[in-house]
Amino acid sequence: MRVTIISPERSVFDGEATSVVAPAYDGMVGILPRHAPFMTLLGDGTLTVRQDDSTREFHVRGGFLQILDDTVNVVAEHAGGEGNE
Amino acid sequence: MAKPRELRRRIKSVENTRQITKTMEMVATSRLKRAQDRVRAARPYAEALTEVISNLYSPELTDLFPLLRQPRGDPSRVALILITSNRGLCGAFNGNLIRKAKERLSQYGVRGVPVELHGIGRKGIGYFKYVGHDLASERDDIGDRPKAHHAAEVMEPLMERFQTGELDAVEVIFAKFNSPLSTPPRLMPILPVTPPSDSGALRASEAAAAERPLQRRTVNFLLKPSAEGIVGAILPLYVRNSMYRALAETAASEHGARRTAMKSATDNAGEMLDVLRRNYNRARQAVITQELAEIVGGAEALKG
Repeated sequence: MRVTIISPERSVFDGEATSVVAPAYDGMVGILPRHAPFMTLLGDGTLTVRQDDSTREFHVRGGFLQILDDTVNVVAEHAGGEGNE
Repeated sequence: MAKPRELRRRIKSVENTRQITKTMEMVATSRLKRAQDRVRAARPYAEALTEVISNLYSPELTDLFPLLRQPRGDPSRVALILITSNRGLCGAFNGNLIRKAKERLSQYGVRGVPVELHGIGRKGIGYFKYVGHDLASERDDIGDRPKAHHAAEVMEPLMERFQTGELDAVEVIFAKFNSPLSTPPRLMPILPVTPPSDSGALRASEAAAAERPLQRRTVNFLLKPSAEGIVGAILPLYVRNSMYRALAETAASEHGARRTAMKSATDNAGEMLDVLRRNYNRARQAVITQELAEIVGGAEALKG
């Protein structure tokens, strides 16, 4: 499935993934491919994107997450790159 | 006719000026490029927010969220935010923005609506201070690289006051970035939030018709916490992002305007140099001719 992470300033990530673990407003949400259309608000925490052979972590805060047509759109008010934030 | 030495001095000085404006043009071009990228990079986020809000919006929500509250009749108090650049040498750029702000102020003045002016950018602040107009707040630290948190800082107090009913409208004057050559000043209402679906040219009924297929699509969404909850949480994001976009576009526009201004300054200096060089050569020739005539005349006189 495709995952995009965008912040107000730029697009932080756009690529294929095998699973996503996201911090929703009320707890973590795990997302696997072919998830039903879903929308939730994001909390503050680490978003993990698992790819075939690697794992990438991002820090996100605020905003929302939307799943539609096997695409996860993470629209975060603040989204930091891996490790550096 | 001017003396060759004076002309030479002027040529030197114009050459120096041209060198400076040329450099500034190149600096503006490279900054413009980066500012343009930032405007472009901000687009997906804005589109995502707009899409979600127009999907989840329904007229009944207006009563639920103070940010959507539309004023009845004339607003009782308005906040006008004027974004200008911190630096000059960009042609009529800041002048246009200031003129637009004055226009809006006098429009409200005629209707007797009190307006508080918030200044962002040294040029606008400087002008209104000079004419003795009070500013409710001023910020000159944002510069040409606005960040999302700048927009949040500006909007937070205004949103709060709008929600308590102290303000009835918040508008921003910024420079829209159509292209580096076209950066018209624009007035954009930020609060109350006008749902994106009916802000266009669509009439209310058409808008409703256009919205329906989208709404049917959202029915399939699993929503957490709920449509209202999501709209409530996303509206402030949308407001902050409107402000961020205005800041980012103004920054890009500033560099576009400066590049244009510096380019024409460089061109003008070039033209001026052509004329000066022609005059200088003419004057130099005249001096040589005159000296020759004098020598020949002197020789003739000795012969006789």
